[in-house]
Amino acid sequence: MTNIPLWLIPLFPLLGTIILGAIAVTSSGNKKGAPENLVGAIAVILPAFSFACVAALAYTMPVSGLHETICNWIDIPLLKVDIGFQFDALSRIMLLFVTGIGTLITLYSIGYMHGDRGFARFFAYINLFLFSMIVLVLSDNLLLTFLGWEGVGLCSYLLIGFWNKDLANCKAANKAFIVNRVGDIGFLLGMLSLVTLGGAGVLNYDMLNHFINMLLAGGHVELIMPMLFITCMLFFVGCTGKSAQIPLLTWLPDAMAGPTPVSALIHAATMVTSGVYLVARLSNLFVLCPDVLNIILVIGALTAFWAAFAGLYQNDIKKVLAYSTISQLGYMFMAAGASAFDASIFHVFTHAFFKASLFLGAGAVIHALGGEQDMRKMGGLIKKTPVTACVMIFAFLAIVGFPGFAGFWSKDLILERIFTDCTWVITGSWLAPVVPMNKIFYIVGLFTAVVTAVYMGRLIIMTFFGSYRGSKESEAHIHEAPAVMLIPMIVLSFGSIFSGYLWADSIGIHFFADSLAPVLAAAQSVDPARAFNSSILLSEFIPRAVEHVNPVIFAALGTLAALFGMFIAWKGWMHAHIPEAKDSSAPKGYAAGWTFMWDYVHAFFVKGVYVAAWICEKIVDACLQAFQWMLGAIATIVGDGATVFQVRKVRLQLGLSLLGIIALILVVLLTGGLV
Amino acid sequence: MELQPIFIQILSLAIFAVGIVVAISRRNIFFVLMGIELALNAVNLSFVGFAKTLPAELSVAGQIVPLFTIAIAAAEACVGFAMVILIFRNRESVDADTYSNMRG
Amino acid sequence: MLSLIYFIVLGLIALGAAVCVLLSRHPLYGALSLVVSMVSLAGIYGLLGSPFLGVVQIMVYAGAIMMLVTFVIMVLNGARDSKTPMFDKVSLFIFPAVIVLAGLIGFALVRAPLAFDATTLRGSVALTSQTLFDVAQTGPGYFILFEILGLLLLSAMVAAVLMAKKRLGSVESENTEGNH
Repeated sequence: MTNIPLWLIPLFPLLGTIILGAIAVTSSGNKKGAPENLVGAIAVILPAFSFACVAALAYTMPVSGLHETICNWIDIPLLKVDIGFQFDALSRIMLLFVTGIGTLITLYSIGYMHGDRGFARFFAYINLFLFSMIVLVLSDNLLLTFLGWEGVGLCSYLLIGFWNKDLANCKAANKAFIVNRVGDIGFLLGMLSLVTLGGAGVLNYDMLNHFINMLLAGGHVELIMPMLFITCMLFFVGCTGKSAQIPLLTWLPDAMAGPTPVSALIHAATMVTSGVYLVARLSNLFVLCPDVLNIILVIGALTAFWAAFAGLYQNDIKKVLAYSTISQLGYMFMAAGASAFDASIFHVFTHAFFKASLFLGAGAVIHALGGEQDMRKMGGLIKKTPVTACVMIFAFLAIVGFPGFAGFWSKDLILERIFTDCTWVITGSWLAPVVPMNKIFYIVGLFTAVVTAVYMGRLIIMTFFGSYRGSKESEAHIHEAPAVMLIPMIVLSFGSIFSGYLWADSIGIHFFADSLAPVLAAAQSVDPARAFNSSILLSEFIPRAVEHVNPVIFAALGTLAALFGMFIAWKGWMHAHIPEAKDSSAPKGYAAGWTFMWDYVHAFFVKGVYVAAWICEKIVDACLQAFQWMLGAIATIVGDGATVFQVRKVRLQLGLSLLGIIALILVVLLTGGLV
Repeated sequence: MELQPIFIQILSLAIFAVGIVVAISRRNIFFVLMGIELALNAVNLSFVGFAKTLPAELSVAGQIVPLFTIAIAAAEACVGFAMVILIFRNRESVDADTYSNMRG
Repeated sequence: MLSLIYFIVLGLIALGAAVCVLLSRHPLYGALSLVVSMVSLAGIYGLLGSPFLGVVQIMVYAGAIMMLVTFVIMVLNGARDSKTPMFDKVSLFIFPAVIVLAGLIGFALVRAPLAFDATTLRGSVALTSQTLFDVAQTGPGYFILFEILGLLLLSAMVAAVLMAKKRLGSVESENTEGNH
């Protein structure tokens, strides 16, 4: 069925947005709001149609992918861009889980948002988000991807601040949008420098690959290396903004102010992975600058480590999951930094399932407790809400990397590939003559896995085990979530078990890697030690030796880390006495210092901007106004002087001008000017 | 005797002169504006008259520029009459001699 | 020969109507005379090989602009100062000045060698639109001017609306309403 046009895929959610937006606007007058059945049906069916189209296309996609150009968008000497779509192996994978999980979460939201006055508006925004995300992933050039990028940022703002009567939600939405915007500057400047390097048409991905092949064939990559470095760094800044890495990660924990399905869809499964998608899509460009890949590795590792500890200090169930998302994104960037782009995409895939399960389960818990989000007031819910507990425990086992579940295959794959594929060494430092960075990053990753198991175990234990620590009235109201919420959760928990088997290295299944190979294999085969002269790089690389490390050792270490973390969590919180929570769930003391570390850094920069603004206002503005006043004063004085020559009557004045013209003509004629 | 270009220019000059006289020597403000329109018309006539004396490529200008002149005259008439309305509100008079705020 | 006769007839009508504008007392008579003058000028344009321009002249000038003039004259009761003398000392000064000016310009014109060119293009609709909408800029660049002219007209419209708007509750508007 390759004759399904590609533009049909984003068309369905766009139609949904328009229809639901019209319903939302027209129903804003009456008291009850929009008819929930109709709105819910439309909101779910349209993304489901998209998913059906993607699935149909996915089966019959040729190896080179499907390309479709709709029309020309910009055609000026500086820049030539078409609106076109490209359905290749990478976008196929992304689209499958974006539309699939999007449909499931929309179904869940019908139950979660039941009775909310803005029911239709919510689904209009969700469909707009799905449209933007599909455009982001499906586009065949950077500028259209940027359009989708901005669109998902906008929808993130709209949906985080959905309950907009509360000022805190609006501030969180503003923060998300503005921090994203700072990243978007990097993306824009990256596109600009890429166009400077490669000419007007280079923003198209095919043309970009062509350009890179030409560069490599020409053999003089080192001539433009500084410019390439800047370009890749700028793109990576954009990725840190969207995917919440250091330093632009402060918006994601605050984004939990939005409804839980929004957190599941946008801030776990789809939007925050667009940074990883961009790195994978531009992988050919990134491997030309091994220094940038090293920087990505470092930042990914730092983020994963920092966020894991921050998750440990939180009391709010959604904030724990937010920091967990940041930590897992750090893992994905670590994989990208080690040139293992397919491993990072695989982790994106499995992470979507288990993180969405966790968020939806948390939403079901919050729904069951009537809005309570503080874990210190939960406990013992496994008897009252068994299905939710089951779903969350499966997802928990997936995220810590318990053997047999999805995270075991994807996260251990990342750690293994960091060990074998990262060829960066630091020579001549004061620590040791030769520091093999792959071992260092592996140890950091393993340690972070332990901490992951600790804080996730803490979450599960505080929520589901022990005895209920809330009030008696709320205990009576605890009930299992309705079926429309449970079915997506169960489907996603199946995903978090079985999605990992698509690439089970140890038992020889390479389906996922083989399907991605046409797009990513070329980039991954570049060995920086062999490909570049070391004079142009900041770092050194050892040739990628074929180390025969038994993969069973990696699996064993990963499982040990998970079990060790679970054991610490058991010891720490199973039978612990948790003091009664009287104050807000925000962390205090040293925990607050660690959690809000990057907020303090941002506040420093914001203060700097305030100072610059004050200088501008008091000094620069005053100078300019003085200058303007001077000009005005001169004009007034000269004008007052010139009024001496004015007569009262306009007509007489004009007549005198006429006399002057006659005089001029006479002068010209008499001096032989005209004839 | 055939139609010669100088006849057109003389006619244009005459209408222009009449227009200037109307614009300056009449006291009613409407006549001032109408005189300006008359003068602009005369200029258009002059353009078209000259266009007929030019060879093919250059003669197009004589057809196009009067179009622009007509459009600008329309804009100017619009703004001019808006100003007349505004002044009329303040002074209740259409006599141009009463609009004499200029000192001197 | 026939064209000369047509030209003389139309030219006399145009000039005569212009003089009527000069000599009429009521501005409405002046406006109507101006319309006659413009229509005859449109006829002259058609005679001179610019039919498109002639039609535009009638549509825009004689149609739209003079309608605006007539409307404003009637709204503001333009004949209100009809007791004042038509020509005064300043006019006495203007007449000879304009005659001298016209004489000088006429002198310069007559001395210039002018002749009709046979290859002049007729200003039909097709030619005018081709020249005006010449996006590829093969000829003189009228396209940009055309667009700017559109903007100019828009801004003139906006300016006129803003200026002539009645300020609600202002002293002038209350006075006006009270007087009538």
